[in-house]
Amino acid sequence: MASYKVRLSADLDRWIADGLVPETSREPILAGVAEPRRLEASAALAVVGGLLAGVAVIAFVAANWNGIPRLGRFGLVLAIFLGVSGAAAWCAERRPLARNVLLLVASLVFAAAIGLTGQIFDIAGEPRAALHAAGLGAALLALSGRSSAAFAASLLFIAIGDAEMSWLGDRMASPPWLALAAPAGVALAWAWRSKPLAHAAAIALPLAALYLMIWGDVNMKANLEVFGLALAFGGLAAIARQLEAQDHPVAGVAYGWWVWAMLGFFAAAGLGPHGPPVLLHRALWLALAGGVTALGLHDRRPLVTAAGAVFLAGAIATILFDLGLGLMSAAAVFAVVAAAALAGGLALRRRARA
Amino acid sequence: MSLPVRIWAAALLLAALLAGLVTRETLARNAGQEARLAMQTVDPRGLLTGHYVDLQLTEALAPGVACPAGLESAPNKLGWIALRPGPDFAHVSGYAARRADAARLGPMVMRGKAYCYAAPERRDMAGWVTLDIGVRRFHTDQAQAEALAKALSDRRTGEATAFAVVSVGQDGKARLKGVIVGGRRADLTWY
Repeated sequence: MASYKVRLSADLDRWIADGLVPETSREPILAGVAEPRRLEASAALAVVGGLLAGVAVIAFVAANWNGIPRLGRFGLVLAIFLGVSGAAAWCAERRPLARNVLLLVASLVFAAAIGLTGQIFDIAGEPRAALHAAGLGAALLALSGRSSAAFAASLLFIAIGDAEMSWLGDRMASPPWLALAAPAGVALAWAWRSKPLAHAAAIALPLAALYLMIWGDVNMKANLEVFGLALAFGGLAAIARQLEAQDHPVAGVAYGWWVWAMLGFFAAAGLGPHGPPVLLHRALWLALAGGVTALGLHDRRPLVTAAGAVFLAGAIATILFDLGLGLMSAAAVFAVVAAAALAGGLALRRRARA
Repeated sequence: MSLPVRIWAAALLLAALLAGLVTRETLARNAGQEARLAMQTVDPRGLLTGHYVDLQLTEALAPGVACPAGLESAPNKLGWIALRPGPDFAHVSGYAARRADAARLGPMVMRGKAYCYAAPERRDMAGWVTLDIGVRRFHTDQAQAEALAKALSDRRTGEATAFAVVSVGQDGKARLKGVIVGGRRADLTWY
């Protein structure tokens, strides 16, 4: 898609030809419009390189190579960790991007050091503890150096650690750490105005809600607890949309992902043996997905439009494959929702004309 | 506090915590009481994933032998497991919810879960006791892992025995020291 400056340049040519704007104003107007800030290719490569360097250290430790004794490996990994952290401290004031990437690498190297300790002391028997410790370490580094990438790594480690939870029957043994880490990530993304962290935290929040629901072992009639989560994320998405309208730089990211979460929880609430009445749920699902698609197009938010389109397709497929729901019933559901969509569109058009 | 100082402080704190953990665990493992626990052979292909050996601590009970005291009702809850040293390895001699009660069932006690199955009325059926004491994997390099896998597969034909060597500390926690497979001992060391 052409940038605003390119589109304005074309518009200016047209306005000058129509005599609306003097030709001498063209250059000053264009000079006054700033190009949107873009991540340079070299910076993007630095982020990718840093990430891969950290993963390489983790893989090196995981390979359990016997060419160097474990003590030597431990010393080497610890020296790399302190070296990378020192480099991040050196870059702290003068190169913020380098500081961010180096603290991400330091977080990954610290996780490798924990992995090596786990190999020697069989902490791997408690994989959750190792992953949570790596997550806490990454969070501490992130907070110390204001590194959004390190906090994103922290969320990832904690999420994987929670997924490794000990299970007691159908229940998780202890509450998920992500329930604290994800809201903290949202708050930091907001405070630091970091879009990458906003992506990570906005995805982590619904995951934390899911873990909490599993841990709480809530089994309400007609999956009302899952509907409650869908409602909550719908509310959060609405708030994020309002904030985006006030030009907050990260609200748009959260808006997109929480729409995905709302639709995901709504769809999941109608599945399984104890769900709500099938016809009602499927009809609402269709209407909601169609509405979200329209909203995404209206707001020019591809992430929201994609969520609507994906869940619309999911709803149609589910209706067609629903056992016990005949094709006549399916046709009725499609027809009712289609009529509602057409009526809604017509009403909006009339209001716009008025 | 300036940004560089904060970063250095965080990094040094994390390094110190890790070094402290390593030192504490090394001291605890060296100071604990050593016990050999019977290890069950499983399909070697299932045993090795990457460069570690999955450990399943299962002691076979002879046909007609009942479950140890406290394990008759199969509690499988976190409690205290009593061990009684034998000529080859330590046998599970009982289980209790409280440490003091478990200590009356055997000279060595450790924290963990145990599950037992036995049918003493049937002379043709052997029972077993499985332990979950937080010791699940033995990490090693590929060559040693493959040698252990071979020895474990040999054991299936009755030619070898397999034990996990643990160190039980004052806190009742079992820490893995190594494994003995086919009479060959491999320890977790720094070297």
